[in-house]
Amino acid sequence: MAPSAPDPHDGRLEQLVELVVALASGEADARMEPSPASDEIDAVIVGINMMAEELRALNVDLEARVAERTQQLEEAQLQLRRLALYDPLTGLANRTLLRDRIDAAVARAERGGAGTAVLVLDLDGFKAVNDSFGHAVGDLLLTEVADRLRSSVRATDTVARLGGDEFALVIVDASAEQVLALAERIRSDLQTPVLVGGHSCWVSASIGVCFPVRGLDADALLRDADTAMYAAKSGSRGGVQIYEPAMHAAAVARVRLAEELREAIAGGQLEVRYQPIVDLGSGGFAGAEALVRWRHPTRGLVLPGEFIGVAENTGLVTALDRWVLDTAVAQLARWRASGLGSAEFALHVNVSPVELRSPGFSDGVLACLAQHGVPPADLLLEVTENQMMGEDAQTLQALDALRAAGVRVGIDDFGTGYSSIGYVRRMFVDVVKIDRSLITGLDTDPQQYRVAAAILAIVRAFGLDAVAEGIETPEQAEQLRALGCRFGQGFNWGTPLGSDALIESLTTRQCQRPSSDAPEVGEPLRRTARMPDDDGVLAN
Amino acid sequence: MSEFDSGTPLSDRVLAVLAVRLDPTGFVRLSWDRDLRITGEMARAAMALVDATNAGRERPLLVDMTGTAALTREARMTFSRRCSASRIALLGSSPVDRVIANFALGVSAVPVPTRFFTSEPLAVAWLTDGAVGT
Repeated sequence: MAPSAPDPHDGRLEQLVELVVALASGEADARMEPSPASDEIDAVIVGINMMAEELRALNVDLEARVAERTQQLEEAQLQLRRLALYDPLTGLANRTLLRDRIDAAVARAERGGAGTAVLVLDLDGFKAVNDSFGHAVGDLLLTEVADRLRSSVRATDTVARLGGDEFALVIVDASAEQVLALAERIRSDLQTPVLVGGHSCWVSASIGVCFPVRGLDADALLRDADTAMYAAKSGSRGGVQIYEPAMHAAAVARVRLAEELREAIAGGQLEVRYQPIVDLGSGGFAGAEALVRWRHPTRGLVLPGEFIGVAENTGLVTALDRWVLDTAVAQLARWRASGLGSAEFALHVNVSPVELRSPGFSDGVLACLAQHGVPPADLLLEVTENQMMGEDAQTLQALDALRAAGVRVGIDDFGTGYSSIGYVRRMFVDVVKIDRSLITGLDTDPQQYRVAAAILAIVRAFGLDAVAEGIETPEQAEQLRALGCRFGQGFNWGTPLGSDALIESLTTRQCQRPSSDAPEVGEPLRRTARMPDDDGVLAN
Repeated sequence: MSEFDSGTPLSDRVLAVLAVRLDPTGFVRLSWDRDLRITGEMARAAMALVDATNAGRERPLLVDMTGTAALTREARMTFSRRCSASRIALLGSSPVDRVIANFALGVSAVPVPTRFFTSEPLAVAWLTDGAVGT
């Protein structure tokens, strides 16, 4: 049925124009009622109505989508902000946010606010937990430590994780006394064992405290707090140390020393001296301990006590240990070829715990022996008692591999740690070196004599050989021999020798004090924790 | 234009504005009242009635929308869903019917073959034989 022709005077076209104008001007709800004619004009009216409805619906959809996308964007920004400013493991502030908080706190204090302090905290014993129980347990421990730190401070303070097992705190509106009391409280809180993953973990904290002075920025304050923390760590474990300007100078000196040591290792400034190890029964040389020395071009002889710590803290100890091992093993090969022959002789070399844990350590040692044609049985690696604390899987694996090949292992400085008996009971030790502190005064102090006798009885009971360190007199040597100690070393037989002097003594004198090509003067009074150094300079 | 009275129960309201019956030739006829503004609710009810009539089978559907005043967006979206109709012929007569039908066809993607006719015999022929023509 064809609709009748529209009446041009019924006004619908004018209304249609008004509808289009209204829609164009943003009146999204504007509509026009079609007439009962249902003709072409009504068709256009209905079409415009429907298009308007469609546009409005699309607009609503679009707005909903924009709102949804905006929310997603805001969430992503929040997430990015969290990633940028917070530590993902613990949820604590990261270094970036920490800097901002320090700057804000310092600015506030400089405007006349109350005191501010920056604390840097490092966990002692965390590495042992990580090595022994794995990273998952280590992470749980860090999370627990973070919770304890959070609960120790106020909401206005900031706790941050700097990385690894190092944390920092910004304390605001607090007096120096309150800050130190807080540091002590944190230290005490952290001493409570943490039960994670079924393991009871014991850690402690070294805390460095820095009170801002005008003009220092966040990085400088963190650096100073860090310096104080290292000072706390080098003292008794679990201490609190306030930053002092002298510490900075010491830290700079350590950095310089590390740079020079790096050059020394590569540049031939190091040398090895050998301290004889004597068979107390026969008086003959049973071996020698390799001791590193640094002939500094301007400072002269630098004692190991000055650079071993730096070497360990900077990772240079690996290169240092390898150099000593290679030099000493090469020397032993030359001795074997030039007079020592096949006589029983043990080369004692100190090894760092860092090295023990490093992958490929045992392979490296065996390769070194093979390269110089030295049988593994000629080498005895000395590890300081305290350094075996971790007893992690990697260390034990390395020791097992070495011992299986014939290399022997000795505990150095035995009797100075608190787990001595525990170590000799385990199966990874062949020789025990009794610390000089248990030998000094042996011949004059009955109490010391009884202690030495008891320790030797224990060592013997476990079927191990003992080497007494720091023997100063023939009387001490004789008493130790009578107590069943098989070997000794110390000033009684002279100072550490150069390689030529040692072989000369070995071949010409079986049990007398050796002559020396360049003897060092005096018996050592101090040894490093890691590496014995019977260094004569100290006695002068 | 008639509107649904929201106070009336759904079945009564739908029955008041539409009719669904099975044609003896094998297609279903859905007829809407004239001057009706078909909403989404009505469309859903109509589809439910068509499905109930087909009782699990698929049949062609003739929708007599002659004289429909308007078709809401929600109703068009509802008709774009698959139901028991195997093909759909939209039947109208005026230019308004044509515009409304083509909005339903063009704006929404239809799930089965759907065409607009102004001639019922042609519509029925297309539904039953697949013959082409308007």
